[in-house]
Amino acid sequence: MSFQIDCPNCGTRGVWEFHYGGAAGKSRPPLSADAAEWTDYIYNKENLRGVQTEWWTHRSACKLWFLVERNTATNEVLSSRRYSVPPRQEEPAG
Amino acid sequence: MGSENGVADGGHGHAAPCRFTFDGETFEARPGQSIAGALHAGGQYVLSRSFKYHRPRGLFCVSGRCPNCLCTVNGEPNVRICTRAAEPGQDVRSQNAWPSLDVDALNVFDKLHRMMPVGFYYKRMYKPRKLWPLYEKVIRNIAGLGKVDFDHGGEGTYDKLNLFVDVAVVGGGVAGLQSALAAAEEQLDVLLVDDQPALGGHLRHDPDLLPADFSELLRRVVAHPRIQIVMSATAFGLYEGNYLGIQQGKRLIRARAHQVILATGGWERPLVFENNDLPGVLLASGAQRLLHLDGCRFEGRAVVVTNNAQGYRIAAQLERAGTKVAAIVELNELAAGDPGKIPVHAGKTILTARGGRHVRAAVVGNVNGGGKSDTIRCRWIIQALGFTPATSLLYQSGSKLRHDAERDHPAVTQFAKGVHACGAVLGTHDVVAAGAEGKHVGLTAALAVRGEADTALRARRDAAAAELARLVETKSQPGVVGHYVSGSTAKKKFVCLCEDVTEKDIYDAIDEGYANVETLKRYSTISMGPCQGKMCQAAAIGLCAARNGKSIEETGTTTSRPPEQPLPLGVLAGRGLHFSLVRRTAVHHWHEQQGAKFLDAGTWKRPESYGDPASEYEAVRHRVGLIDVSTLGKIELRGRDVGKFLEFIYPNRFEKLKPGRVRYGVICDDAGIVLDDGIIARLEPERFFLTTTTGNADAIDSWFRSWLVVKPEWDVRMTNMSTCYAGMNIAGPRSRDVLSKICDANISAHMLPYGGVAEFDVAGVRAVVLRIGFVGELGFEIHVPTQFGQHVWDALLAAGKEFDIEPFGVEAQRRLRLEKKHFLPGVDTDALSNPIEADVPWIVKLDKPDFIGKWSLTRAANRPARNRLVGFRLDGTTVPDEASLVISDGRLGGRVTSARYSPVTGGVIGLAWVPAEQSANGDRIEIQMNGRRMTAVVQHAPFYDPEEARLNG
Ligand SMILES: [Zn+2]
Repeated sequence: MSFQIDCPNCGTRGVWEFHYGGAAGKSRPPLSADAAEWTDYIYNKENLRGVQTEWWTHRSACKLWFLVERNTATNEVLSSRRYSVPPRQEEPAG
Repeated sequence: MGSENGVADGGHGHAAPCRFTFDGETFEARPGQSIAGALHAGGQYVLSRSFKYHRPRGLFCVSGRCPNCLCTVNGEPNVRICTRAAEPGQDVRSQNAWPSLDVDALNVFDKLHRMMPVGFYYKRMYKPRKLWPLYEKVIRNIAGLGKVDFDHGGEGTYDKLNLFVDVAVVGGGVAGLQSALAAAEEQLDVLLVDDQPALGGHLRHDPDLLPADFSELLRRVVAHPRIQIVMSATAFGLYEGNYLGIQQGKRLIRARAHQVILATGGWERPLVFENNDLPGVLLASGAQRLLHLDGCRFEGRAVVVTNNAQGYRIAAQLERAGTKVAAIVELNELAAGDPGKIPVHAGKTILTARGGRHVRAAVVGNVNGGGKSDTIRCRWIIQALGFTPATSLLYQSGSKLRHDAERDHPAVTQFAKGVHACGAVLGTHDVVAAGAEGKHVGLTAALAVRGEADTALRARRDAAAAELARLVETKSQPGVVGHYVSGSTAKKKFVCLCEDVTEKDIYDAIDEGYANVETLKRYSTISMGPCQGKMCQAAAIGLCAARNGKSIEETGTTTSRPPEQPLPLGVLAGRGLHFSLVRRTAVHHWHEQQGAKFLDAGTWKRPESYGDPASEYEAVRHRVGLIDVSTLGKIELRGRDVGKFLEFIYPNRFEKLKPGRVRYGVICDDAGIVLDDGIIARLEPERFFLTTTTGNADAIDSWFRSWLVVKPEWDVRMTNMSTCYAGMNIAGPRSRDVLSKICDANISAHMLPYGGVAEFDVAGVRAVVLRIGFVGELGFEIHVPTQFGQHVWDALLAAGKEFDIEPFGVEAQRRLRLEKKHFLPGVDTDALSNPIEADVPWIVKLDKPDFIGKWSLTRAANRPARNRLVGFRLDGTTVPDEASLVISDGRLGGRVTSARYSPVTGGVIGLAWVPAEQSANGDRIEIQMNGRRMTAVVQHAPFYDPEEARLNG
């Protein structure tokens, strides 16, 4: 692996400064979820061939966790961005 | 290596004549000559013996590609002496010959061709099995190329260089030069790499082709401040992200380029005929190098075999240099150039080279073998059959190529991102057209760097494109359609010089079923030798296609992988551990002075002991000891929601932990597996300090951040303090007496009880002091700013002198903690261990709201345990190795994870994973050690101070 990743903090660096954190998108189920959902979350990794959004951390430098879009077949990095919380409903005041 | 900076001159290094030896005999080299050139001038034509049959071999490609001139130079094996400058006093030795180059006993293999069929590794050496060791011994002795000189080999410094450029150009021929100049003139930083000692590509040694303005082009390239030129350097790999691996002598250059331009040219294509490997058979470009770069001559008569104009040029050049060219053998029906007065044998080929140790005559006959033949007396057979494009890096880049049958040449259908090519590698052989192509590609690469918005640059690029289109129409030459193999049925027709693979071997392999080029390569070993297919691949694919009745396109090509050219391993290894991280604590030099024996804990160095771990153990149990724990991971967390965060991360409770108190915690993942453990201290309502194990410090830091990033609504601020604090643990019954002498706080059992934390000055330095007891004694863990670590350490030792304090290392600590049955994550647990089975079920609070691992641990708690981590006692003093097996009902039931001799019990104690049904207190387990079985007894209570009276003291 010799591709480069854009850290949102530090800019473009060699991949060896980063650590892979797995495909993004599978969110942690609530406790009430059934066994199938939990075991899928814990044990099943998709191992997709093609473009996937995934977690990386700039472990040798700023340590930020962020999202990268990468083609797993060619290792072409298409984009990288900070995580932003999905929009959620307004919480009641107080 | 040639002179690194002599980029625009005619070749190799030194300025005065010099002497060197070849196999003990002295030779003289003229200024600028290569070793091989000097040997040729001195009449030494046999340079090596071939790999398998030990046939004599001489200069063939003279361009650093074929295996024939590999020699050992001053102890360095496998040096290509045709591209290595002669230097005074060099000790050059031939390889693969025994007892000597002249009399090679192993040449008998040449007579035993029948015994060594293709694939003989697989056929001859699998039966009988008991002879394998003998086969291996014999093969190891005679196979391989060169010998590693363990005394003098690898001398000098291997180093690494990282470069970052806008445009990297591989190949310093006219196309590469023009592209480099075009990009540099757009104010881009350009790296120009060439594997020869001087720029110019084949123009260096084909003066008839030299354009009038070439020296001006060279001058501008060399003088350009934005072009960095790296000579005698092989670009051996092009990796993703336009990352080039380049070897230059003992240096590895790693170049990151925004754009890469491949102007790699081609490799001259050999003709395969009987005895085509005899010394005296040379590629035309090789002969030209000897003539024009090394100032050599070819004594006697020569025959040139060709199918294109280059053959006629070399014939004329040879005549000018005094060689009598007896004939031009033209494979086409019509001469492709002007032969002058030299007789031309059109529609013919060379069928056989005659001679023992050197060419004596050439047998000339019909291209397809039939009819009558002529024997022409000659000393030299010079082949000019066009070029195979050097496409290795193009393939490595991920560009897509197909075979253009009409031109017998690969054509790029799609370039990989940021990759370009120009010149002969694309089949553009005409010098003017190649230059125009280089300029166009240089500007295209510049535009890719600058962006399409640069309209002025775009206009210049478009103008270059128009110029190129005009030239390609008028200057484009027809491709030289391949003639690879002369049509005779002779046996000794060598397709692959490196591995001695003949045409017949290839046919046999195909007939045996290895008809696909990839399997053919592996079975016959063709293209797997030092040339990596440069001399043989085109012919091998041609033969494979012909035998299978398929086209070249259908036959395909083998996958091109780095390295494109063999590399010395030293280049990849560099200077050993020079660049690996080593971490030393603030007290490291003191440890060294005390003669500490160090062990590696991750990147840290930790004292294992100071010579006598038993004495260190006794000091802690009976008096007082001091251990450096600076290597622990240390994290400070601040904010309103730290309690909530810790409750989510750890299976036990933290939200209600009172300021001034500490709690032990185990971290699990969502599968319920133990990741790490440590101490969590609440210093203030919104300020926590926690430790991780040494080995997991970075991983836990990362683990915390991975959760915090998806919980931005939580008010938690995290600072890694691991190297900010020096940590030391003072432990033993007299530890309070020592510490109280040098601190300004009341540390009585009442004011700072077990499980307490406080901040106060120790030896005048602000410290975080934790009342914890990993080793099972009254103890204090003291964290001070790293720069004061040595000062506080010294103060504690001085204060402890009257109590006979001793420093202790990791070994004593492990004995002490084992007596308390504290497990070490990663030592006593593995990727299947959850805290319930690891004997700390009390730490899991399943009545809490959601936390990491809750779902899995709930399930684990509600099903019968499969196995458990338990303590065991063993009579005697024989300590089982870690990972000794626990045998249950004659089967594998578990394993020992830690074991030591325990002075307290007077026997051996340890921790082991055992089946749940054998995990009750007092159960007996069988441990297998060195083939013997020992019976151990399970013990649940700690082996030392189970009432924890000493800890709470
Ligand atoms: Zn960063």
